[in-house]
Amino acid sequence: MTTAVGNSFIRPDAEPKVRGEAVYGVDFEIGGTLHAALVRSNVASGRIRSIDSDAASAMPGVRLVATAADAPKILSGLALNDQPLFASEVVRFEGEPIAAVVADTLVQARAAAAAVVVDIDPLPVVATVDDGVADGAPLVHEDWASYQVAPGHPDWPRYGNVCSEVVVDEAGVDEAFAAADVIVEDEFRADRQYQAYLEPKSATGMWESGRYTVHASHQYHWSIRNRTSAALGVKPSDVRVIGHYMGGGFGAKLDVGLEPYAALLARLTGFPVKMINERSEDMITCNSRDGGVIRVRSGLSKDGKIVAREYLVDMDAGAYAGDTVYLTSIPVYVADGPYATGPTRVRARAVYTNTTPTGAFRGVSGTYLYFALERHTDNLANAVGMDRRAFRLRNVLEDGHEMLNGQVLDDSGLLKEVFEAVDELAPWETLGKGPNQGVGIAATVWLTNPLPGSATLRLEPDGTLIVVTGAAEIGTGAVVLGVRQIAAQELGMDPANVTTTMPDTDVQGFDGGAQGSRTTHIVGRAVTEAAVGMRERVFQQAAKLLGAAPDELELRDDGVGVSGDPGRRVTLGEVAGAAMFDGGPITSSGSYGTPAIKYDPDRATGLLFSTFPTPTYHVHVAEVEVDPDTGGVTVLRYLVAQEVGKTISPAGLMGQIQGGVAQGLGYALWETIQIGDDGKYRQRTLESYRLPIALDVPRVEVVVLEHPVDTGPYGAKGAAEPPIVPVAAVIGNAIADATGGPITRIPITPEDVLDALKHEKGTR
Amino acid sequence: MNLSLTVNGAAVTVEADGADTLLMVLRDRLRLTGTKEGCTEGECGACTVLVDGVPVDSCILAAHSAAGSEVQTVEGLADRGGALSPIQQAFIDNFSVQCGFCTPGFLMTLTALIAEDPTPEEEWVKAAVSGNLCRCTGYTTIVDAVMAATGQEVAR
Repeated sequence: MTTAVGNSFIRPDAEPKVRGEAVYGVDFEIGGTLHAALVRSNVASGRIRSIDSDAASAMPGVRLVATAADAPKILSGLALNDQPLFASEVVRFEGEPIAAVVADTLVQARAAAAAVVVDIDPLPVVATVDDGVADGAPLVHEDWASYQVAPGHPDWPRYGNVCSEVVVDEAGVDEAFAAADVIVEDEFRADRQYQAYLEPKSATGMWESGRYTVHASHQYHWSIRNRTSAALGVKPSDVRVIGHYMGGGFGAKLDVGLEPYAALLARLTGFPVKMINERSEDMITCNSRDGGVIRVRSGLSKDGKIVAREYLVDMDAGAYAGDTVYLTSIPVYVADGPYATGPTRVRARAVYTNTTPTGAFRGVSGTYLYFALERHTDNLANAVGMDRRAFRLRNVLEDGHEMLNGQVLDDSGLLKEVFEAVDELAPWETLGKGPNQGVGIAATVWLTNPLPGSATLRLEPDGTLIVVTGAAEIGTGAVVLGVRQIAAQELGMDPANVTTTMPDTDVQGFDGGAQGSRTTHIVGRAVTEAAVGMRERVFQQAAKLLGAAPDELELRDDGVGVSGDPGRRVTLGEVAGAAMFDGGPITSSGSYGTPAIKYDPDRATGLLFSTFPTPTYHVHVAEVEVDPDTGGVTVLRYLVAQEVGKTISPAGLMGQIQGGVAQGLGYALWETIQIGDDGKYRQRTLESYRLPIALDVPRVEVVVLEHPVDTGPYGAKGAAEPPIVPVAAVIGNAIADATGGPITRIPITPEDVLDALKHEKGTR
Repeated sequence: MNLSLTVNGAAVTVEADGADTLLMVLRDRLRLTGTKEGCTEGECGACTVLVDGVPVDSCILAAHSAAGSEVQTVEGLADRGGALSPIQQAFIDNFSVQCGFCTPGFLMTLTALIAEDPTPEEEWVKAAVSGNLCRCTGYTTIVDAVMAATGQEVAR
């Protein structure tokens, strides 16, 4: 029999999706539903003088216009409680909710929302991180010092417009720079990137006798439960979140969006209330990937060793802190990244601006942090006249690398193998040799999100197994392929006989959400834990049926047989049926979260992500050709070598690599959100926000390395998030090679390419 | 104002305003929610349906301009519970579906493509779907599905 783990099986959710039967968040609707739309600020910074809803209230179908006066007076947030549901005195970004209109239909609600007149006195705009940290900058939050951190967090360094600061300052940095033979200093900048999931954000709220129910299409249902309850001033268990099919999220649907509003409006009206963002509204108000400024300086010895490093990062938090207080930890893990660096100093700040709050997008800030690190690494190699790949291998990590948080990576020497593996796809020396062509290489060390999860297995008398888990299927296949195949393998079953559930926070145990490649690793491991108890019960029951001892039995082909006796076998269905009236239904639960990792808390200040769990290793190579007339870039070949621990579903893994690289190419070359001095987005629709299309994306060539990790199910580590992380770095390096000029910004526009071509070779 | 058209082979008459789009008629009046609304500006292609065999963005097509036309949606590609069309089956077999929100639109565009060219070349497939955005897959498995559905060699 084909083993369930390590082979590709059809996704059970593919058929309802190709038939158009799958009900997504935007499709879900129950009887009596009203529809709501938000009234949002049309300026980035200002003081609200008045809100006039008379005309809107009189429009057809309108049931309610709600403002801050109708909501609990609570500030809440992911880690820092700095955000109200509705702005009441000041507005801090374009698109900030000021009021909500509920009507019989969505068309009526949107029309009435447009008729609410909000009078706002403009205030000075902090449009960029440079503005935010400038001397005498206006404060985005005048009351920042009074803000409380969310429960469970110690406070961290923050001041003025800096809502989070992380510092590492190893002994001897300045001395090491003073002793260096060569010093190279660079500055890089990155724009924001919109997740651009195809299904806009939506939510349906309900209220019944003091409890809220939210129907969501979301990555992290337990976070919605916590965040909605905090915003509405009730206990987490007073909110039930029920998941539906999700049309992509990529990080943007980890924190709450419309859910608390839909819940509040349901309570205020007494009816279910459904909300859907319009696309432009979704884009302008989305917690996009933060932009940032990175200043990196390194000292080198003449023989090409990195002997000192300083890595300074300012990231754009937008108007509310959100995820960015966590993201300021990431530079600590990227500042040295794949290479040994000597004494290192890191400072990372998240800066409030009068712009839409930023947040998580696959690979989070790592995409631009690695762009800066690996573009800088090319410049280091060039500064000492070394081949760029050879320079990397000279400095690449060995086993036992100690990270800047004091955590030791036992397996960091794997990186060298990954460098060798990618070279087997196409030798480095052979690439990028044609006219106007270039080649780039970059390595990445990335993590697997450690948040816990759980699963309950139910063996049914009809011979099927149900995996009851709160894990969200974001579309990657982590649940419907990964978790399901692991469950099948554990019980000796055909995956076709295993089903998985949709999240419901009243039903399943906590799940840390579809993020950071955690689902297959964490929930898969929870399934293997649950399977231990299930097998014990199955063998006990089967032993009675077969007249054998439990230790003589084995699982085979959806049944239990006596080892070495092919004729003596009962099906799992028969076992479950017999158990029903002999001890009750066969169920078994398991939980798992990554065990605590040893690190040194004295190495860094402000480090909310204190460790870098279950690391994985990656090397990407790209060959590009630039058009000297238009500045256009064609990606000729794209190579990926990725260490995954163990492949659970080859097809699922390939889908994540190809898709992650495609998103990375969009980020590197086309996608941008530019912000004007007025704090407003310049790209406001999918017409001006240029996403990759089929013609843009080459077929990615992949080599997978498998070094199983003890903690993962069958040795699997996280795999889905990291394929995006090095892409902008690789493309930037390849374009710099092709043009001979400096490439310092994401995205790399045709204008940047033409400018780079004007540089004399070797001056980059 | 009444609007009469044929949807997935059945004659229907619905009430529709002059400002209503074909997508609103399909999703809100006829409850055919397989066709998705991704952007309402004709950019993403999630709402693609066939009007007299031609793929159109139903989110920006005035409903009344489809009066008397034959409209086909993803629900009409196969009988309910019946055998899937070759391109639907190929999407399943080639892992061309991840989140699946773009899938109905791709299937409609590709159904029209295959009707016009039973053995399209890979580059032509990519060009044909240039009005359909997929954020998950990076597109190669979608191209593979067309190759498989049209009996051509799959490159991978």
